[in-house]
Order: sequence, then C-alpha cells, then structure tokens
Amino acid sequence: MTSPYKPVEMTLDQCIKCNICTTACPVSPVTNLFPGPKFEAPQAGRFRQTDQPTPDASVDYCSGCRMCNMVCPTGVKIAEINARARGTLVRQGKVPPMRRLRNNMVARAELLGQVAQPVAPLANMALSLKPARWIMEKAFGIHHSAPLPRFSGEKFTTWFNAQPRKPRTTRQVVYFHGCSTQYYEPRIGRAAVRVLEANGYEVIIPPQNCCGLPLLSNGEFTAARRYHTSNVRNLVEYARQGIPIIGTSTSCTLTLKEEAPELLDMHDKDTRLVAEGVYDFNEFLLDLYAAGSLNTNFRPIPLRLGYHVPCQYRGHRIGKPGMELLNMIPELQVVDSQAACCGIAGTYGYKVEKYDIAMQVGQPLFQFAKDMAAPLVICDSETCRWQITHATGLPAIHPVELLAAAYGLETEGALKAVLEALPM
Amino acid sequence: MNKILTEVLVIGGGATGTGIVRDLAMRGFKTALVERRDLSHGTTGRYHGLLHSGGRYVVKDPQAAHECIEENRILRRIMPGCIEDTGGFFVVTPWDDPAYGDRFVAGCKQAGIPVEEVPIKQMLREEPRLNPEITRCLRVPDASADSFAASDLTAWSARQHGAEIFTYHEVRRLVRSGNRVTGAVCYDLVNAEEVEFSCDMVVNASGAWAGKIAASAGLEVQIKPGKGTMVAVNQRIVNTVINRCKMPADGDILVPAHTVAVMGTTDEHVIDPDKFSIEPWEIQLMLDEGEKIIPGFKDLRMLRAWAGVRPLYQETAANASRDITRAYVLLDHAVRDGVEGLVTMTSGKWTTHRKMAEATVDTVCKKLHVQRPCRTAQEVMEPETGGHGHGRGQKHHQLGARLAAVEKDKAFGSLICECELATQAEVEQAIRGGAKTIDDIRRDTRLGMGPCQGGFCTLRAAGLLHELNPSGLDPASAAEASASALRDYLQERWKGLLPVLWGQQLRQERLDELIYLNVLNLNSLPGETLSRLGPEDYTTPGAAQAVISQESAAAETHPAEPAAPNRLAVDLLVIGAGLAGLASAWFAARQELKTRLISKGWGALYWASGCLDVLGSTPDTNQPLLALRSGLESLVKRQPEHPYALTGLQTLAQALGEVQALCSQAGYPLLSADPKDILGSNWLLPTTLGSLRPTCLAPLTMTAGDCRTPETQKPIVLVGIEGFLDFSPGLAAANLQSLGIPARGVKVSLAALEGKTFLTSRVIAEALEAPKVRAELSAAIKAAAALPDGDGFSLSEVRIGLPGVLGMQPSYAIWQDLHDQLGCPVFELAGLPPSLPGIRLHRALVQAIQAQQGQVFDGMQVLEAVCQDDRVTGVYSEAAARPRLNQARQFILASGGFLGGGFHAPAEKGLREVVFDLPLTAPASRADWFRRQFLAPEGHPLFQSGVRTDQRMQPLNENGLPVYHNLYAVGGVLAAADPLREHSLEGIAIASAYAAVQAAVQAQSAAAEQINSAGTNV
Repeated sequence: MTSPYKPVEMTLDQCIKCNICTTACPVSPVTNLFPGPKFEAPQAGRFRQTDQPTPDASVDYCSGCRMCNMVCPTGVKIAEINARARGTLVRQGKVPPMRRLRNNMVARAELLGQVAQPVAPLANMALSLKPARWIMEKAFGIHHSAPLPRFSGEKFTTWFNAQPRKPRTTRQVVYFHGCSTQYYEPRIGRAAVRVLEANGYEVIIPPQNCCGLPLLSNGEFTAARRYHTSNVRNLVEYARQGIPIIGTSTSCTLTLKEEAPELLDMHDKDTRLVAEGVYDFNEFLLDLYAAGSLNTNFRPIPLRLGYHVPCQYRGHRIGKPGMELLNMIPELQVVDSQAACCGIAGTYGYKVEKYDIAMQVGQPLFQFAKDMAAPLVICDSETCRWQITHATGLPAIHPVELLAAAYGLETEGALKAVLEALPM
Repeated sequence: MNKILTEVLVIGGGATGTGIVRDLAMRGFKTALVERRDLSHGTTGRYHGLLHSGGRYVVKDPQAAHECIEENRILRRIMPGCIEDTGGFFVVTPWDDPAYGDRFVAGCKQAGIPVEEVPIKQMLREEPRLNPEITRCLRVPDASADSFAASDLTAWSARQHGAEIFTYHEVRRLVRSGNRVTGAVCYDLVNAEEVEFSCDMVVNASGAWAGKIAASAGLEVQIKPGKGTMVAVNQRIVNTVINRCKMPADGDILVPAHTVAVMGTTDEHVIDPDKFSIEPWEIQLMLDEGEKIIPGFKDLRMLRAWAGVRPLYQETAANASRDITRAYVLLDHAVRDGVEGLVTMTSGKWTTHRKMAEATVDTVCKKLHVQRPCRTAQEVMEPETGGHGHGRGQKHHQLGARLAAVEKDKAFGSLICECELATQAEVEQAIRGGAKTIDDIRRDTRLGMGPCQGGFCTLRAAGLLHELNPSGLDPASAAEASASALRDYLQERWKGLLPVLWGQQLRQERLDELIYLNVLNLNSLPGETLSRLGPEDYTTPGAAQAVISQESAAAETHPAEPAAPNRLAVDLLVIGAGLAGLASAWFAARQELKTRLISKGWGALYWASGCLDVLGSTPDTNQPLLALRSGLESLVKRQPEHPYALTGLQTLAQALGEVQALCSQAGYPLLSADPKDILGSNWLLPTTLGSLRPTCLAPLTMTAGDCRTPETQKPIVLVGIEGFLDFSPGLAAANLQSLGIPARGVKVSLAALEGKTFLTSRVIAEALEAPKVRAELSAAIKAAAALPDGDGFSLSEVRIGLPGVLGMQPSYAIWQDLHDQLGCPVFELAGLPPSLPGIRLHRALVQAIQAQQGQVFDGMQVLEAVCQDDRVTGVYSEAAARPRLNQARQFILASGGFLGGGFHAPAEKGLREVVFDLPLTAPASRADWFRRQFLAPEGHPLFQSGVRTDQRMQPLNENGLPVYHNLYAVGGVLAAADPLREHSLEGIAIASAYAAVQAAVQAQSAAAEQINSAGTNV
C-alpha cells in the first residue's frame, strides 16, 4: 500500500476553489499583505513559470503554519507550494540583500549556537540590552521585542557525554536533540533521556546537525540541502537497523519526516529510510502504549494546565498523542488550547515586518493562556514556548517534562518550582 | 427598418473579418463590419492558439510554410501583446518515423524557418514533463497567440481609423439587385429589429458560413466545414509548443495558452457549421496522443473541450478533409459568377489572417478603382490604454503578467474571476466596451476560463452587468437580462465540460451545482432556460461509439492482515467531517461510545446554506416545496429506496430535534417554520442572488427574511458593502421583485474597512466583532435610510437583509446588536462559499463532540481499509512519513459522495468508492451520466449514484447482504437521492447519521452482552 505521492506543484490541480483554506489561515485576516492560501498556492501557481521572473512578493508573508493543508478537502499541498515559491524568490534574487542577510542570521540556529553558547552569559546579556536590540532592528530587521531565547550555560551533549554509560540493553533509540535542546533548553533533552531510560531504552546520540527547517522556511534551499544530506548520512545506518530516531522538537521531526525531502525533491532510498524511521516523542511513547509496553507507573500531578498543540505538530497528521499521554497521568487536567497558531512560525515572528502580524495571529492563544490562570503552559515546540512566554509572561514546558515528573524522575526549571510549591 | 450607408461592408468578425476591416479603414474606405455574435465567436475563438512557425507544413505544403514564417514575424511586431513567445519543439517520439526529422530540417531551411537541434538533456531541462524516450528535438519559432485579444485589438485599430463594428448583427440575406450585390439585411439580436446595410462592395469573410451567406444571393460557394476538437488541461504542463515531428495528422500538437495547455486536434467533415458534436473517440484520441508526449497525461485534470469548424473550400467533389490545401481562397464573384459587388475570402489559417486581409483589400481596391498601399504590416497596434488589459502592451505577453500586476497594485480584493485574475476594472471595461453576455466578458478578460469554470465569477459578473446596465434597461427587464446572463453562461461552460467531466473537474462541477442550484436556487427564478443570446450547443455525440470504457474497477481484495487490536482502538471511527460525519460523531460520543472522527479536510458545511434543508422540491415543478410533511410522505411512498424511506420520517424528526437542541444549548438556536411540528413547513428564505430557497431549520440570523407571505411581511432593503464583490444588492433586489417580493438594494461604505486590500466575508465578519464597527454599519444604514427624494426609506417599515457576515462563531451576539441598534428585523442571506452560517454549525458540532470526549482530526486522509473476512479492522490514514493505522470496533463512512470526494470517477474506468470499494449504483453507460442542460430540473442521473444500504445504514452487496458487519454509510454517499437538487442535503445527513449510530450502539451492546454471557458460562 502506498501513500499517494504527488509532486508538489501538480497538486494545485486538486483545487476546487472552495475557500475552506482561506477561512482557516490565521495570517490573512490580520494583514493586508497576504490575500490567503488559495490565492498564493493553487491560484498564483498557475501563473508561475520556472524560468520566468517570479511576480509575487506576497507569498513571503505565508508563515508556513500549514493550517491550510490540514483543512483542504482535496489535497492541495498549499504550504509546500508557497515554500517552493519563496525558494524561487530567493533563487531569483528578489529578496533585498539586507533582508536576506537577516533571514540567514535568524535561520542559522546551529551556527548561532556554536558561536554564542560558549560565551553564554555575555551573549545573553548583550541580547537583553535594549540599545543592542534597537541596533539589531535598525541594522538587520530583527524586531526589538522578538523573543530571542537565552543561551544555556552548558550544551546538552556536554551533559549527555558526561553521564555514566548505562549497560547496553537490547532496545535502543536515537535521540535527535535539535538546536533548541542543544543550545537553549537542554533540560528538555535531559527529561527525554530519563523518560526513555525509564522505559528500558538505551539512548544513543550520534553526530547530527541542524535539521535545516529555518533555512527551508526562508527559501534558502541550497543550504538546507547540505544540512539535510548530512543528517541523512549520519542517521541512515540507525534507520537501516530499525532503531527509531526520536525527537522532542516537533519541527525537527516533521522536517526529517517530510518537509526536507518534499521541498528539496530528495526521494533517494537513504532519505526515505531515515524519514520513515523518525518519530515524534509523544508518538513513540503512545505507540509503546498501544503495544502494551509503556511504563505506566505514573504518580499523580494535581495540576490543571493549558496545552497548545503547535501547528507544526498537527502537520505530522497523527492527531494529538501528547494529549493522550498526558491524560494518563492521574489528577492532571490538560485543556486543549484549540488555537490555530502562536504566530511565531519559526523565524517569521522575529522579523520586523512580521512581528506585529505574529503577535496578532497568536492573540487567541495568549488569551486562552491568560484565561487558564495556570502557572505553566505546555507546548511541544520551542519557538512557540518562547512566543507564549513573551506574550503572556508564563513559563512554558514540554510534555516530556511532565512525564518525567510523573515517573518521579528529576525535574528542572519552572515545572520543578511549580511542583515544589504544591501543597503536600 | 434602420438603414446604414457605407462603402464596404465586411461580414464576419473573426480574425479574417477584423483584419479586412482594419485594412480597409487604414486605406481610407468608409467601412462597417457585421458579426452575428461577439467578435471571435466563430472559428477564430475556438482554434488551437498557435502562431505557426510553418514547421508543420514544410514537407507537405512548403508554400504555406513560407507564408507562415513571414506572417509569424509580422504579427509578432504588430500585435506583440497578443503573442507569447513560447517557442516550439518538434519532437520525434518512438511512434514517429525517425527519417522524417531530416526531411523536416531540410524543409525548414528551404522555407526560411529558423531551426535548431536541441539535445535531449536540454529539452528535458526546459520541459521536464516530456517523454524521456523522445529521440530528437528541434526548436522553431512557434508561439502561443490569443485570438480573442488579437481580434479585439484589430477591431480597435479599425475603429481608430474610422471603421464601425456591429456585433450581434446577424446577416439574414444579401441584397441582390439584378447582377449586383448592393448590401445586406441584418437582424440586430440585442434590440430585436432588422437593419439594412447598403454599400458599394460586400466582403464575405464569414469563414465556415461563407457558403450560407453566398447562397442568400443565389451563389454557390462550397465550404466543407472541417471540425476540430481540442482539450485543455488545467495547468501549463508545458511552456513550449510541442509538435510531433511527422506528417501532420490528428492530435499532434500541445500548445501552452495562458494558464492552460491545449491538446489538439481532429479533422472531421461536418455538413452544417452550426451543428456538430464532440465525439468520445476524439477525446480518447487527445488523451492517447497526449500520453505519448507527456507520460501521465491521461491522469491530468482535464478542464474543458471545445470544437470549431475550419472553413475549407473546394471547387470539386469530396476528398479526405485534411488533403485540401490550407492556403486561403479569394473569390471575385464578378469573375466567377458574373455578379458584381461581392468578394468572398475563405479557408486559410489564423497565422496568415493579415495576409488574407491584404489580398482581399487589394482586390477590393482594384474593383473600386482605388490605389492605396497596404500598411497593416507596418503599423504596430498598441492602444494608449495600457494597464494589464488583455492583450494590450508593447511587449510579448508573459504568463506571470497578470499576477505581477495584481501584486503591484495589491488588487487582491478586486478580483471578479479569481482563477484567471480578472479584475473589476477589466470586467467593467469589457461591459462598457460592448460586452453583452458573460461569454463576451470571458473573451475580453478570460473570466470563467479557469479551474472553477465560472463557479464564483458568474454571480459576480452578473452583479456587475446589472449594476452597470449597459443597455439602459428598465428594472424589470434588467433583472431578467441579468438572470438570463447567468443561466446562459452556466450552460455555455457546461457544454464544454460534458465531454471531459470526470476526476477532479467532476468534483468541481458538483460544487458549482451546489452553489447555483442548491444554495442560490437559480431554478426558482422566472425566465427562459436559455435566452436569445444564449450559447449554441453541440449536438449529442454518437453514444454507441463511446470508447471510454465503462467497466467498473474490480474491487481490490485486501490482504487479511491480522492486525492485533491495540489499546488505542476506539469504539467508533467516523470517516469524513461533513454534516453527516460530525452528526454521527456527536450522536455516538453522546451515547458514550469512544469516538474518533478523521477527515482529509473540512466538509460541505463550509459551502452550503448554513440551514438544515430537509426537502425543498418535488420532481414535477421548479416551485419550492412549502408543505414539508406532505412532501416527505409522498416522497417515501414514491421512492422506497430513498434514504428517508430507509430511516423513516420519525427518525428524521427525532434526529433533527436533537440537533436543534444541541444548537440551542450552544447559544445558537435553529428555528423551525412551524413551531408545532418540526417537519410541518419550510421557510422560504432569500439568497444573495435574490432567489428564494426553502429550508426546514434556520438560524435566527436568517429567519426574519422569510418570504412565504409577502403580503403580510415588511418590504426588504438589501444592504451591500462597498468592496464586497460576492453580493450585488441591486441584482438581488431586482430578482426578488420579479418573484413578487418588494425589495430594493443599497450599498454602504465602511471606513473601518477602508485600506483593506481584500474584503472577504471572513474579513467583514472579523471586523464586525468590534462594537464600533457594528455601530458604524448601523449608522451607515440609517444614513442610507435618511436619503431624500425617495432614495431613502423608513427603518420602521422595512426589514434589512445583509450578506452572511454576522460572525464566524455559533452566537447571535453580532446579529442581536445590529437588530437592537437598527430597531428593525435584520437577516442574513445564503450566498457564495465560504458559508459563515455553515461554519458556525461546524464549530458548534465540533465543540459538542469534544465536550463529550470525542476527537475530531483534520488532515487525516483515509488511504485504505484493512478488512478481515466480514469485518473492517482498521483504516490507514495519510500522515508524515508513515501512514497511520486507525483501529475501531465499528466504522461510519461519511465521505460525501462526489461533492465530498468519497467517489472518484477516473478518466477511463468506471466509478469507485475510494475507501472500502463498496459497490455503487450508477447509470450503466457514461453517456447517461449527465443531461445536456446544466440546469435541467430533474438533475443529472449520475448524482443519484451511491451506496445502497439497509435500514441500519449498512452497505449492501449485490446479494442484498451487508458487505461488512461493522460498517455503516451515511450522508452524501447514499444512493437513490440527489440531495443537492431536492434540497435534502442536511436532512439526509442527519437522519442517516442518527440511524447508523442507533444501529452501532445496539450492535456494541449486543456484542458486550455476548461477551458477558460467555463469561458467566464458566
């Protein structure tokens, strides 16, 4: 049985102009510059010709949230068509040089991490200085308020490599940490490793690099291809052996599963093998549950928390496995935000010309978080967490942190503080 | 009768005629052109779209080839904007004689046609979709030409030089006095009167009709019309003209033309240029030949087919049509027949039309003793009115030009035709420039030529026609004319869709049918199905030759994968998120079945009226059904296989009552027209077209528009919003008036919406969430009411109708606020998708399902079912990287039939239900699927197709037994009803969902009991 593979641009033939996508797009109602998914993909797509000038600046305002794809009843790959059109804009030199420089700056998460993390305290201080942020906005176009995350004092892999080696079990998984866990939120990686070990798995962390999604989202396809090729090379041997490749960053896993191969037209055997071996963290654990092998010794967590399932997460098209897992923890009440998108859309909301759009797009989610009146918000995606915290002041955690807490394993950061503050 | 005096009268408004009248005018003649319809209505408007390099003729007809390349260069220079410089390939496929290639190259060199050898790798880089087995590729200067734009431009140029152009003037007869032709008597189709033209010379440039025209003067000109059929593919799969490198034959050219690619053509002799058909074998030929140059061609979305007739002249008896020379033929009847005052120019091809004109006018000059040289090849035609008008411009047309212009001007919100990016300004310019029908507007702007084939733009164009009222008609006639224009155009589009109506285009047409025949209820407006200006139809094709086979796809056997039921399995899995699916999921979740709904995307609630239709029409009349219960009772008696007969009316009433209660609880009550009996009566509610549609349950935001008893109800004031193109209050009010409902239309402008680059119903709804915008709307309506001199009205004496923009949430807040501020009844109208009232219902249902712990997931397309013996064990849904297995005890198929994508009709095989391969009832032959009239009141037989079920909604096989014991089918997939046409879409969805869930609950309890009793038997 095969999945109906259709080259991206050909799917515009599926469109019956029904307008369902235009009602779901969270960007077009808040800006005059983006007429909506139907216009940008199946409609404008009939007017684009590969070797001719690309006459559409508005497509750059697509945030890539993929809501359109999810609600389209005929299977038009709207978000992908837009992404490819953006790639063409870049290739044809239509993006002004300073903007392109800016895009590359925010898109090279790994490079940023490599450069700044070693001097984390200095970097963090510099980036929190108002004058520095104003200069960044004026010179490069990175909005002065955009939620730049703080570099961690220690890389995730530094911690991991320092851990005592556990005896080898027969069950192994590869953990794909991604740039955010490595440089900004290593606590999530630690929780993931602990939870996996609590389920009897040995966690392997092979050499890996940035998944390349920020580059893809900015139309920098050549660079993105280098990153993805490198990841495939590093991971394919594990895929061949049937060792699952698991990630806690939903954008990274979606990129490895689908976005990179599809946007870059990479359909060779190795790329496909790796794609088919990648799992979202919640997805993997839920599959264990389905097979009856999940460790379900959960302690109660008497909290009522809001959970935002990011748009990138829904893009996996596997439902909301995080919700189902968290519902297994006794006394934990998790409320679905039902919100379309937090607005940040990867690197989108960091840009000066898009920041306001992003904040407006996320407004319903921010309101939900405020109405919940809970001490934390749960969210699987790193940039969403930073956006939520930026807009609401509430700390945000990954579902794996709650699972670690439910297993009685070490907790860190905001969740630890909240749990400690609970009456015994 | 009117008499018009001129020097030279030209008959025929195609390329030849317009070229001739331009040349005449430039040489100083007083000249007029008459054309029976719109310019390019004849062969010129139905040709392949090719500006020949001449390569096609180099071996067979070198003279023609040489003429082509000369004219190719000239036309590129004088009408650059009408030409797209695509270039052309001549390719040698495995089916072609390889030796022809060398003859071709030699012939090109001889004729002076630049020819270049292209390495296959290079060819595939430029055109990646071409057949990689092509062995040789030669590049020539073919180009793509827009004949509508060209005729238009040439006529404009003629007018600049003093010519007069009369469209919609049909020549009834030439006026002959002795041995002299002195003019022609024409019939003005628009004003319905005769006009006589008197002149010194008549030029018969009527192409395939030249024989008919000459005959009216007693002269014999034998024209052998050669019909050619073409098929357009929905997108530009190639950007270069692709020719087969071989002796010219049928189906050997693929031309990129604007946003489509045209595959053609055939050459069949017909007797009458007005009566010919498009035969299935011709379509099959296009598919087969297309497949040779583009692998996978057959599976592409076919947009449309059309046929035109070549004007082929021959002096002697019949030969094979294609062997007649394609050179033009100029007949001086004085020399040939002894009759002065008439010359006939016929045959020829579009590429050489200017030269044909030159030859003709040279002869006319000689005969009228005038000596003036031809300058048509020198003068470049570029009007000052630039902009991105169709075909105007100093540079060659480029595909992206329209998109670039829309982007530059941020004209997103002014698109009348979204598919082809035709703006309001362009459409208005066409109307002011003389377009009489929407088809005329199409020729000027490409309106309706894209994927939706007029689905959205037809209504908008009718609205603009009505507002501009170019012929200055009185309101009643204007209403009739606009309704006619709408009907005519839908039929015009239909006639070209019929030959290729399968696959995704079929689904598109079903949506268009929902819009015009269900939501807008077009058939309830009075008037002729086709007006005097309506399109001529093709004749019915010979059914017996249907080569496209009807064998139904053999049901695929699913391997019995014994997938162990996992702990994620639910009690009930619903497939599809239309009303039937959502209602099923809610009924089930409410009865504590663990329920999950998965869907590829959202469903028809987003498109339909937002009301619950139960039954709206009976087969014998176009009149809306009001006495609902008696209508239902006679329906179930008459049609015992109908879904209502299977569920029973009691279940229907119960199910509706439950949904009504759900909506009440959600704060968005639905009202029934008869408070005592939910099935007692229908409402009769107005639409944005100004028609009336019957419905059973309607939201409070719409019920104040009820028109059942207009005598006792307040007159209606329809309020449109400036910049919102989906609603023309003037058109709607005029149509309501024609139905006897007192109504008028006004437009208001809101400052809050100024500066928006696009105004969709959603944008307006989101703006209306703000109290100050609502206050502004009320103030604007009050200001309109207060206008002096009879333009105003008294708010206390009217009710206000608005398009469906009063919010996207299931809530009455916005409606209530406006109602309170205006102090009079306010109601919404059903209109073009997206349907905001429908979206409210969708949201209310999803919230209700989730409140009962049910799950609803979009983006999960079901790929395949997994079955074991007589049970479904799971379905695979599409997901990133790996399909996902969804297991359940029981399954409900709510995939929606043709409209929802639950049925697929591929090009060559029969009909298929896409998830479980359930047997479908369907007319045996494809020839019986559709009626020739789109608006036929009985509807199209294909749409009665579906899944047969028993009373428990279980799909049955040929033996009348359930196919699977744990599968149910609901909603649009069901057989024996056309829910769009009979206005029963929502009723069938809800009743069948209720019945299915009842059966599923029973089945689950029975199974549980069995396990319990088994357990106790220790």
